Amino acid sequence: MPVIPADLVHLEPSLSVEQVQQRLLSGQTLLSETSDHLIEVVDVLKSYGEVLDAYSINLIYQAEHQFLNPLPIFKYLDGDLNPAKIWRHLNHDRINFEYAEYCQKAMFWHGTGGLDAYLDSEAFAANCRAIMAAKRRRDPLLALLDALFPGFAPELIRSAATTHALGQFWRVMSDLFLDLAAAEADGRVRTIAQVVDFIKDGLVAAAANPIGYGVSIGDEHLWVLPPEAGLTFLVDVAVPYVEAVFLRGMPFLGTVSFNAQAQQISPDQSQFAYGALYADPLPSMGAGIPPSLLMQDMYRHLPERLHQWYLQRTRGEGDVRVKICMSFQRSMFCVTNAAINGTMPHPLDTAERTQQQANAAYALAWAKRLAAARTDCLTA
Amino acid sequence: MPASDALPLAMRLVWLIPVYGVSGMVLALPWASGWIKRNGPRPAAYLNLLMTLLAVLHGTAVIREVLALGPQHLDFGWFQAADLNLRIGFDLSLTNVAALELVTTMSLICQVFALGYLDKEWSLARFYALLGFFEGAMSGVVLSSNLFMSYFLLEMLTLSTYLLVGFWYAQPLVVTAARDAFLTKRVGDVLLLMGVVALAAWSGSLEFNDLYAWAAQAHTQGWITPLAGTLLGLGLIAGPMGKCAQFPMHLWLDEAMEGPNPASILRNSVVVTCGAIVLLKLMPVVAPLSPLATDVLLVVGAISAIGGALVALAQVDLKRAFSYGTTSSLGLVFIAIAMQLPGIALLFLFAHGLSRALQFMGVGSVIACTNCQDLSELGGIGTRMPATLLAFVVGSAGVTGLLPLGCFWCYGLVLNSLLPDAPALAAVFLLTNGLATANAVRVIRSLFFGPVMPKTRRTPEANWLMALPMVSLTVLVVLLPWIMQRIDPVPGIAAFPLPVAALVLLSGGAGVLAGVLLPQESFWSRSSTIWLRLVQDLLAYDFYTPELYRRIIVMPVAALARLILWIDRTLVKGLIDGIGRASLATAEGLKLTVSGQLQSYVLTLIVAILLLLSGLQWVWGAPG
Amino acid sequence: MGLGGAGLMLLSLLLLIPFGGTLLLLLWPGQPSPQRLRLLAIGILGLQLAISVLVALRFDPAVGGMQLRELHRWVPGIGLDYALGVDGLSLPLVLVNGGLTLVSAVITRDIDRRPRIYFAMLLLISGAVNGAFLAENLLLFFLFYELELIPLWLLISVWGGANRAYAATKFLIFTAISGMLILGAFLGLALLTGSVDFSLTPVLSDRLAMGGQLVLLVALLLGFGIKIPLVPLHNWLPDAHTQASTPVSVLLAGVLLKLGTYGLLRFGLMLFPEAWVRLAPALAIWAAISVLYGSLAAIAQSDMKRMVAFSSVGHMGYVLLAAAAGTPVALLGAVFQMVSHGLISALLFLLVGIVYRKTGTRDLQVLHGLLNPERGLPLTGSLMIVGVMASAGLPGMAGFISEFLVFRGSIAVFPLATLLSMVGSGLTAVYFLLLVNRAFFGRLAITPATGDTSVDGKLDVQLAPVAPRETLPAIALALGVVLLGLIPSSLGHLSESATTALAQIGVGIS
Repeated sequence: MPVIPADLVHLEPSLSVEQVQQRLLSGQTLLSETSDHLIEVVDVLKSYGEVLDAYSINLIYQAEHQFLNPLPIFKYLDGDLNPAKIWRHLNHDRINFEYAEYCQKAMFWHGTGGLDAYLDSEAFAANCRAIMAAKRRRDPLLALLDALFPGFAPELIRSAATTHALGQFWRVMSDLFLDLAAAEADGRVRTIAQVVDFIKDGLVAAAANPIGYGVSIGDEHLWVLPPEAGLTFLVDVAVPYVEAVFLRGMPFLGTVSFNAQAQQISPDQSQFAYGALYADPLPSMGAGIPPSLLMQDMYRHLPERLHQWYLQRTRGEGDVRVKICMSFQRSMFCVTNAAINGTMPHPLDTAERTQQQANAAYALAWAKRLAAARTDCLTA
Repeated sequence: MPASDALPLAMRLVWLIPVYGVSGMVLALPWASGWIKRNGPRPAAYLNLLMTLLAVLHGTAVIREVLALGPQHLDFGWFQAADLNLRIGFDLSLTNVAALELVTTMSLICQVFALGYLDKEWSLARFYALLGFFEGAMSGVVLSSNLFMSYFLLEMLTLSTYLLVGFWYAQPLVVTAARDAFLTKRVGDVLLLMGVVALAAWSGSLEFNDLYAWAAQAHTQGWITPLAGTLLGLGLIAGPMGKCAQFPMHLWLDEAMEGPNPASILRNSVVVTCGAIVLLKLMPVVAPLSPLATDVLLVVGAISAIGGALVALAQVDLKRAFSYGTTSSLGLVFIAIAMQLPGIALLFLFAHGLSRALQFMGVGSVIACTNCQDLSELGGIGTRMPATLLAFVVGSAGVTGLLPLGCFWCYGLVLNSLLPDAPALAAVFLLTNGLATANAVRVIRSLFFGPVMPKTRRTPEANWLMALPMVSLTVLVVLLPWIMQRIDPVPGIAAFPLPVAALVLLSGGAGVLAGVLLPQESFWSRSSTIWLRLVQDLLAYDFYTPELYRRIIVMPVAALARLILWIDRTLVKGLIDGIGRASLATAEGLKLTVSGQLQSYVLTLIVAILLLLSGLQWVWGAPG
Repeated sequence: MGLGGAGLMLLSLLLLIPFGGTLLLLLWPGQPSPQRLRLLAIGILGLQLAISVLVALRFDPAVGGMQLRELHRWVPGIGLDYALGVDGLSLPLVLVNGGLTLVSAVITRDIDRRPRIYFAMLLLISGAVNGAFLAENLLLFFLFYELELIPLWLLISVWGGANRAYAATKFLIFTAISGMLILGAFLGLALLTGSVDFSLTPVLSDRLAMGGQLVLLVALLLGFGIKIPLVPLHNWLPDAHTQASTPVSVLLAGVLLKLGTYGLLRFGLMLFPEAWVRLAPALAIWAAISVLYGSLAAIAQSDMKRMVAFSSVGHMGYVLLAAAAGTPVALLGAVFQMVSHGLISALLFLLVGIVYRKTGTRDLQVLHGLLNPERGLPLTGSLMIVGVMASAGLPGMAGFISEFLVFRGSIAVFPLATLLSMVGSGLTAVYFLLLVNRAFFGRLAITPATGDTSVDGKLDVQLAPVAPRETLPAIALALGVVLLGLIPSSLGHLSESATTALAQIGVGIS
């Protein structure tokens, strides 16, 4: 067997279930506390915040203004049809909104949480009927399709509802990440632990924000997700989002075979482990790896400090997008860390035994899932 | 090309049509190679679409000219040496140009579809570059007027199939699938090359028309022995057999399903059509030389038709359920070609190509929506995906003789010709039709009806870039009988009596009944009856063809390779080392190889030159 | 033999430039840096290539015989003349030599030991190869043939891999024997015919009895067979390749092996046409065996470089097949195959060299997923696909038209051997796809395949980036391969008259 030069191949140790649980319970951050990590996480979240801003605006635009449009040719232009923008769009000199749609699809398809449950409710069906009644009068094609294929339009409306909800979620996250970057710039945040706390505080502050969505048809305003549904930010959108995008994800055509006989994909979606915390950064920008789009978007919004930091490592500019992906994974562990801390049943410093046990059980449940993820990125 | 100067411009420039596709590849290179790093790859896709659109328009102009002026021939010299004259030739007959339009139009529709299907694909530029290459090669194949050019381009198709199947190169199953797809096709190609080379040597010219004349005479004049004729015939049909995924060379089509769906659409519709068109062009050479080859075509066609349909019925994978159907349909085409029914075979190819493409678009839409191609995990989509549902229904009706769409008329025409003389072959057609219909019905049933499955709970219709081409092609397939009537006005596509039509409908109806009545579970779960389970497994695993390949071809070759390696390491090297040991000792004594002392090098040089001079001295001294 | 050519002494320039360059490098005052020596060598070799191109421009393709001839008596007593000439057989090879030695010098980097001698030897080889291709005198050919030997031996034994002493010695012994056999045949021809005229033109062998002819031809066949190499005389080649550095491998496969096939055509076929025709059926079978043996042995290799080396054994077999058939098309195919094998094998060795330099290994059990766009070697991988497809004879690239011409020219004469060789062509695809799919497809990892992908999937692989200048020569070669494949008439035009003339010698006899 040939000797493989040690500097070419690295394998960082992964964390065990116990280690993850212990870190969660002791209030220690999952990501180890180094100054390099701080630069990576804050700056990559800054670029992510800028990208999310664009994603959020577009998703809300799509849900409100391209609602049930059969040929949404200009759906990525946010209603701004000036020739220069169209040219940039054609030249693909733009944000890859396809990735936002991809996340929306993941969320919609996995279908967990309160929003998803509402989409199957009788109240939602009534909303759909009202909307279609209004639409049928104006759109004969849709009227015909709705009569022949009654399942068609409601499914599209469900999809649009998820789109809008994700847009609202990302609005909050974008602002939060940009605030974090500002806080780090003026010295309010200096450690990974402070990053996690900052995000936790942001999530907790937004937790009860209401999620609502209405469309205008003609001069009518009709609710898709009415305020009465009582959907809120954290439980109904953020948690399903973390479940669908951070944890489960969808199999990449570039790494997993869809061949039914090969049985590489679990029939049970809850067993999926293709999400952001599990994904392998190395094949980024290869064929069939959808997050490449996000990496490209973040690459185009990379803060100068992080860019310089990358230039000094491995291949410099040559593999910058793989490095972004690695940093991004670290930052997503921080976000997950914050979400877990924020949803911990009881304060960590509680002295009560039952509360400690409840915390331990909660941390264990997470630790079991996270230990199978790419925890090897946390130590380095 | 003496007369061509008088031809209209569109015809004189017909060589540009394959060039459009290939230039699309070249235009995509800046993005595919990563040279453009800041902007995304989409311009490469748009440029390819533009080139393909040009090809479609140019093709339309050529069709118009062909209708006005009749068939034309164009050729250019490419390479000439001694008695070998290799040319680039185009036969602008109506059928060739119609096939060209099929290729370019399908390519265009597919490329739009791919924009939607691969919307989150970062390697989009490479994909379109490959599609452009693919399209260019196919356009050349259908227009080619000589065997050399056909072979040349068929091999390019093999290469682009490899690259397209290997598109997701990091996926573990792709690694083996791309390789196996290439090698399976390559077997057919090498056999075809043997035929081409032999023909080139024997007949002198590789123009199809010259070959026809030569073959007719070679047979009567006895220029080649019957054995040589038979071998030649078998070699020539091996290439198309590989391209059309016929037993036993059908394996690649299954492997190719690991590639992206838009490429699968093209492969299952137009690539197999190209293979069959080459066979059609070769038939007047094969038939007189080798009756055996014609028989082989019949047998292979029949086995592929029925075997493919049976295997398709047992597939649990959505893509494979239809790709084996392609093998099956092409089997029928092979029978039609072997029975000297070229016109019907062409119509069948045309109808099959469009309808099969539509089916595969539906497949792509379902996969994109559900991340799943396992039929046992799909179900109950209901009316949520109307364009997809229509694509499945119309596409399936188009490839079977059920509704009076494309293939129905072909079935009628074929049966009408076969029933009097070859009732057994007619039965093959009817049986295949029944099985294919049953397969289509069971797939549609399990996708759209029944209880909603977890992975089909949320299935909005595909995005507009997929839906639009799907709907357009649906309309095209519905209009197909009318188009076919235009292409082949005499004797007309309805030139068969009512009882024949009834027979076709009956076989289709029986298939529908079987597809509806068969309990759905029996498709997926293994039966408890032992013999039934054996049959089920046999079909589900494609008659164990991969295993057969492994045992008959791969293992012997690997064993032979190991044997040669052993011989090389033990016998040859051992012998050499033994002989050399004495000389080695002297070299060791000199110790100059590693020491790196200049003096020793110079010494060696001097010794060598002295040796040479003394050798010369010896001959000088010898009697002059 | 135009006066202009004689006046310019272009062919002598092709010797003068590299040999003068050798002296220049050796005598350059002071301690020039390796970089300066490299640039100097590149300059000299570039000049040599320019002169080669000039020769090609001055060359009249319509003439079948020798052109631009130069003749000076040197040692009349032993029949050694300084006689140079170029025809359609040697001109393409001179061009390939000019191009590939330049490529070798360009891709030579980080020579740490004795750069002066290294580059001097490179130039010496280039000049000697030119001399051998241009020599119109048997002894002159032999002189150059031997002259190339020592520097190559040095290049392997001083700048080679860990086991270089063994490989270099083996190379030296094999090729020394090759030289002796060839010299023996040349001298034997003189001895037996009682002539001391070693010029190429007169065919003396018809003065000999068939038995004598056969003995001499067999000696030549064995001598050149070692160089080509043909099975079972190939044993030195895989070792030499695996131990040689990349530029030397490029030179060895791309240029030096062609001395063997060139010698076979020029001296075997031309000097002993009668015996050649007699031996041809056996040669065709020998060719087929060589092809199949090389291909099958390549399948079993796990060292990329050994695999490419064995593919050379297989692919040079086509040239023997074509030479055996001796038809105009086959002989033209032989020239094509020599040129395209030169370009393709140089390309493959160059790319394998890049992989080796970046990963430290060439083991196919260890390398995976090198096509990875950011961390792998994507451009190298893409060019590798071009190279292996060209080698496997895919149309649109140089390998196809060469093989097609060889097969088309041979099938009517030796159907069985041709068909077997075509099977070998099919096998080429097998081993090269094994190479590409194992090393370049899949997830990037540099580990022995354990089957435990859970660990492989978490490996962080950090290969040094490939600078554009490293792949530039490969891109140039790949372009050459594609251009020759698409516009083969460029080469066919140069060589056709010569190969037709060569074929006539055989026809005249049979």
